[in-house]
Amino acid sequence: MRKFTTLLLAMLMIFAMAVPAYAAEEPVTITYSYWGTPDEAASVQAVADKFHEEYPNIIVEVMAIPNEEYTAKLNTMAAGGNLPDCGIMNENGVLDFASKGLLADISEMYAGADAMPLDSITFKSEGKPVAYSAANEILFMYYNKDMFDAAGLEYPSATEAMTWDEFIETAKLLTLDKNGKNAADPEFDPENIVQYGCVVDNWTWQLEVFALSNGGRWFSEDGKECTINDPAVIESIQKVADLTLVEHVMPYNAGLEDNGIQRSIATGNVAMATGGAWNVGTCLNSARDDIGLNYGVARLPMMERSVTICTGGPQVVFSQTKHPAEAMEFIKWYMKEENSWDSLIATGIWMPILEKYYTDPELTAKWIENPNFPDAEEYKAAVVDYAMECAESTCWYYIPHTNDFINLLRSVLGPVWTGEQTAEQAITENFDALNDVFLGF
Amino acid sequence: MISLKKRKITNSQLRTETKTAYLCLIPSIIGLIVLTYVPLAAVFGLSLFRWEGVGTPQWVGFANYVRLFTRDPYFMDSIKATVYFAMLAVAGSIIYSLVVALLLNRKIPARGFFRAVFYLPYVLPAMAVYIGWSWLYETNFGLFNYLLSLVGINKVMFIGSSELVVPSLALIAVWLSGNLIVIFLAGFQNVPRVYHEAAEIDGANSWQRFWNVTMPCMTPIIFYNLLMALITNLQVVTPALALTNGGPGNSSCFLSYLMYTYAFRSGKLSYACAIAFISFLLIGIFTIILFVTSKSWMFSEGGDD
Repeated sequence: MRKFTTLLLAMLMIFAMAVPAYAAEEPVTITYSYWGTPDEAASVQAVADKFHEEYPNIIVEVMAIPNEEYTAKLNTMAAGGNLPDCGIMNENGVLDFASKGLLADISEMYAGADAMPLDSITFKSEGKPVAYSAANEILFMYYNKDMFDAAGLEYPSATEAMTWDEFIETAKLLTLDKNGKNAADPEFDPENIVQYGCVVDNWTWQLEVFALSNGGRWFSEDGKECTINDPAVIESIQKVADLTLVEHVMPYNAGLEDNGIQRSIATGNVAMATGGAWNVGTCLNSARDDIGLNYGVARLPMMERSVTICTGGPQVVFSQTKHPAEAMEFIKWYMKEENSWDSLIATGIWMPILEKYYTDPELTAKWIENPNFPDAEEYKAAVVDYAMECAESTCWYYIPHTNDFINLLRSVLGPVWTGEQTAEQAITENFDALNDVFLGF
Repeated sequence: MISLKKRKITNSQLRTETKTAYLCLIPSIIGLIVLTYVPLAAVFGLSLFRWEGVGTPQWVGFANYVRLFTRDPYFMDSIKATVYFAMLAVAGSIIYSLVVALLLNRKIPARGFFRAVFYLPYVLPAMAVYIGWSWLYETNFGLFNYLLSLVGINKVMFIGSSELVVPSLALIAVWLSGNLIVIFLAGFQNVPRVYHEAAEIDGANSWQRFWNVTMPCMTPIIFYNLLMALITNLQVVTPALALTNGGPGNSSCFLSYLMYTYAFRSGKLSYACAIAFISFLLIGIFTIILFVTSKSWMFSEGGDD
């Protein structure tokens, strides 16, 4: 008996020693970080599991981080040398991460591929691509069809942008006080408004589109100079503030939160609002069920020229990874439209990054002809074509330190929204500080 | 007789006792050194470098401090906002909780229930509290503005305007000060009855008794609460994180919030260390002022030790 026990032990030991020899064949586990709620992460995990089926030697674990703390968390992990292997990133931190050497080389990512992501959504540091956005989100206008019907107004055109004056006139007719009088009526009571005509989202980065529309730029095209004190830029900001201060057609907002559509179209108390494409999937779809919202889409109102800006969080491989090849494999796979189709594109959260989805009618139809989207014909003209004809890169694709810059601009513009300062006073007074941050101190 | 009671303490006995005392103090001294003084020194040391979380720190001397006081677009506003908030919140919560504790100390019906009601805010999750208050304060559809509109007052932007944001946030801090009420209550119950009885016999009315008996006995408690409230409120960060993001403008950009923003959102860790160190000095200065002035108004039963 004793002999048998000894033998058994010996066999166990041999077996135990043999295991590490198989371990080399064991799959590699990589971590992918994603912003969002645990629910959202679960749907991303489902996609990652599909990847594991195709690539059995790579296991991807999704790490969910709340959106508003995403950059903070990544910064902290970077300082601790604990960054995940790969993940999505906030646009405004990409070039800073690249300059600190925290992003892996992606030059091989699209080597030999038949199609490249659009140039307008490629992050460039000194002209060299450092990351590609995973989605091509543009800004456009949403409107409440029932409110237009009730006011007896024609819907905004999906092919032609409204001029700013037309936009204000329309918004006036759609702003109602508690007696049912609209803002164009001389007896209108601006202290008791029950329905507002518009929200132009003053969530800071989105204001850049109106600077462009008014013929100005926040930064020179070569990215070498901060030109936010250009009169055209200042005027564009003042025009947005005046919607509240002068015209009384927009509810006051301090511009401190990223919720333009949630607090307007999705709540059903505002007729027109500007916002990003992702809102179709993130809040408007459920608003159709919850409050019976009937909404349409149109181009942004324009000041001097019709323009929109595009953006999208990039999928990156972090340089601290021990498994760069596997992480790159996953990112390449995940960036293909067909692999994030069900969870992100068909739901209306992401717009595709390859040109063919915008130009090939069959692929466009596959994308937008589904019940998650508003009317397909309208969406095609107001969003898909708009993205091809009028979209320009948001500044963070070629300007570093935009995170700090936009945060400072947000605080500089606070008194402009309340009317305590004009845009000109605020920008001129703080231009040195803004320029300091732009240069990176 | 007295000399018999007082044992003569020999030198060697004293030394053993001292040794034991130091031995007992070791754990807390270690804790204090490792968890407080070393990090404090490290924060100061790091603040003399330029370091963004990765790479090698570069020595810059006092450049971070110089920038903070000369070029930083937030810092001076931030100090003003923090001190303003702390003054309002400390004064408000001390007066509020003293009054509430005084009322709760009387024989009122359902006293236990009311004590719970006033303590409750303190134990609620901070995030829920601030979001709840943000709905009350909301400019267009909030309850406060609705009530004001009933009496014909135009819309007030409580947290949307740079003048009202700090007072509005301080009001929430006052409402949250249930812990001070509990300490005051305990203090009131410790005021010796004999003093009251003596005062009553001397013909003092209830106001005179309150002012000349209760209040002096309460001064040590008031001092303690003042100190705690001051330290807590100078480190205020939650309302900025939960509600205002430091705005509008820089009007609620409190020091701790600014420190957090620089350290984690911008990754400028060494720069944030400089802010942390200044924040420490600021709290230190206010604490010293409080201690120095307390000698003139605090009544101490046990003498001067």
